[in-house]
Amino acid sequence: MSERNNQFGNIYVSHRAIATIACQSALESYGVVGLAAKNLAEGLAQVLVKDPSLGVDVHYDGQMIQIDLYIIIEYGTRITTVSSSVADSVAYQVEKSLGIPVNHVNVHVRGLRISNAD
Amino acid sequence: MSTKKKTTPDLVELTSKPCTTLDGQGFKTLIEAAMTWVKTNQQTINALNVFPVPDGDTGTNMLLTMQAAYNEIASSGENNVGKIAHAVAQGALMGARGNSGVILSQIWRGFARGLDSLDTLNAQVFATALDESRATAYKGVVRPVEGTILTVIKDVSIAAKKITAETEDLIEILEHIVTAADESVQHTPELLPILKQAGVVDSGGKGLFFLLEGMLRHLKGLPLETPTATVLPLASMKLDEAMEGVEPGQDYEVVIDFRPNEPLNLEKYYEGLGEIGTSIQVGEGDGMYRMHIHVPTEKRYEPIEYTLKLGTITKVAMENLLAQMEEQQGKNDQKINLAALESGHIAVVAVSPGKGISRIFASLGVAAIVEGGQTMNPSTEEILHAFENLHTDKVIILPNNKNIILAAQNAATLTVKKVAVIPSSTVPQGLSAMLRLVGDADFDHVVSEMNEAIHEVETGEVTIATRTVEINGVDVKSGEVIALLNGKLVNAEPTLEEACEKLLKSAKTEDRERITIFYGNNISKNEVNKIVDDIRLIYPNHEFELHDGGQPHYQFIFMIE
Repeated sequence: MSERNNQFGNIYVSHRAIATIACQSALESYGVVGLAAKNLAEGLAQVLVKDPSLGVDVHYDGQMIQIDLYIIIEYGTRITTVSSSVADSVAYQVEKSLGIPVNHVNVHVRGLRISNAD
Repeated sequence: MSTKKKTTPDLVELTSKPCTTLDGQGFKTLIEAAMTWVKTNQQTINALNVFPVPDGDTGTNMLLTMQAAYNEIASSGENNVGKIAHAVAQGALMGARGNSGVILSQIWRGFARGLDSLDTLNAQVFATALDESRATAYKGVVRPVEGTILTVIKDVSIAAKKITAETEDLIEILEHIVTAADESVQHTPELLPILKQAGVVDSGGKGLFFLLEGMLRHLKGLPLETPTATVLPLASMKLDEAMEGVEPGQDYEVVIDFRPNEPLNLEKYYEGLGEIGTSIQVGEGDGMYRMHIHVPTEKRYEPIEYTLKLGTITKVAMENLLAQMEEQQGKNDQKINLAALESGHIAVVAVSPGKGISRIFASLGVAAIVEGGQTMNPSTEEILHAFENLHTDKVIILPNNKNIILAAQNAATLTVKKVAVIPSSTVPQGLSAMLRLVGDADFDHVVSEMNEAIHEVETGEVTIATRTVEINGVDVKSGEVIALLNGKLVNAEPTLEEACEKLLKSAKTEDRERITIFYGNNISKNEVNKIVDDIRLIYPNHEFELHDGGQPHYQFIFMIE
């Protein structure tokens, strides 16, 4: 739970809420074609994820947020660039929405999806 | 830039007769034209960048991607248009920078697939290829966001299909497509609310428009090196970021709102302003114009007098940039946050020559920073003081300069704590060692890991020689730019560019993967960008990181991994 104060009391933001923001922004990021479950055995990655916290891990220590993303990337794109773009977008969106600094976004590329082999 | 100035006589000929097919070499000149036109309009594209992250680099990213693409074919004599397109796609893929670059690489990939291995490109093939571009681009994302470059390539492919049913002439087709791209770009704020809020059109979409327009301009024989004087929408003038590019001779920022008496001749207006100052921007809305310029102190009233001749001035704002810069720097100075050290964990003390470098060390988790470096060596006491009060008895010191190693070793003997000095003689060595830190691991193990790590990077340093001398067989004249590789003098050149390029060559950079560049406090951001762009061109497939190191003396420190 991340906690903030206002003049009437406290505001709590759950890890799940942070994960939802991260997940939405990751899926809109170019080159990312899916999130992968972080615990399932390899190969069971799901391309469309219903659970917003699947594929996203959020750690919050009261001051800083660390986010781990488990993603699937489109084959034929430059993986390093896609990964750093998704990290940038997620960090920016979460910081913009919550006003809490994100100090780490770790990107784990769990697989590639091949739509066109050429 | 390696692009040669294009002379146009051979193209004038093209315009007189309809052009219906293109071979590999013809297509190559189109790619070069597209790249040149994006380069010319790079800053315009950058200024529009608000989505997904407003970091103002879309134009630069698209240009670097196009440069990498063109590099693949620059020296190719291939006549098969399909092969050229595949090489372009390959280059774009390897050199893709940023979001827009990745999308652009997908567009080329689709385009190449559409051309397959055809010898020549004609209207029909062009339409098919653009449709493949659209399909491939859309496949790369789960939730395509409309109102971006994706929307523009979609509209372009639809327009291409329609027009190719009517004519075979590629110039006519491109003309139609460029118009469609322009309309699509103008429509992006209606699809993406964040663009509307910011009062801009989509930057990536605009970049794609420039790519296509560059091709068209080339076919029509229009110049590609000078930007058409552009009027930005008022809201997209980034006046609050004026601080970014401030340099000596740009002491004042002047913003003038005015209503011209006669329709404004923009080219001429720009020309007149160009003689007074730099960073010129002109915006328009409802017949009202806003002009923005940076000028030296003694010329601060000239833009006003000049504009007065053209119309009625309604408002003038003038700010002293130098004073603001100093204030801003004062703020930046306080912002280094060191990570809290867990009691009993290994603490690292790093010696850092500049604010920017300190910030990077802080982000890697050093427990204390001592300021110092070339010609400002910290004393043994200063180093001792930095770690004496830390809640741990295990300390590692990174001196990051060979003249400081001794002071650090002395400090180690004056304490009861267990201290190891890693003999890092440059900042990159220190950073490399820092990456091996595991706070709660075995002390000796971490120390030996770090000792290994410092040999895994090459360090390049560039500075100006203060005296005439001969070292290592290199003749150096005072005032020349000298380059040091791992502390050894390797060359002396008249310019920074040459020194940097030769240095990277001596460091066998082509066998490495990543170049991190820290620029000093004695070089302007514009100069840095120019040099770094040149280097990127030489090593299109390397990863680059650019940081404001803030170190004195050294214009550049390179970390080559």
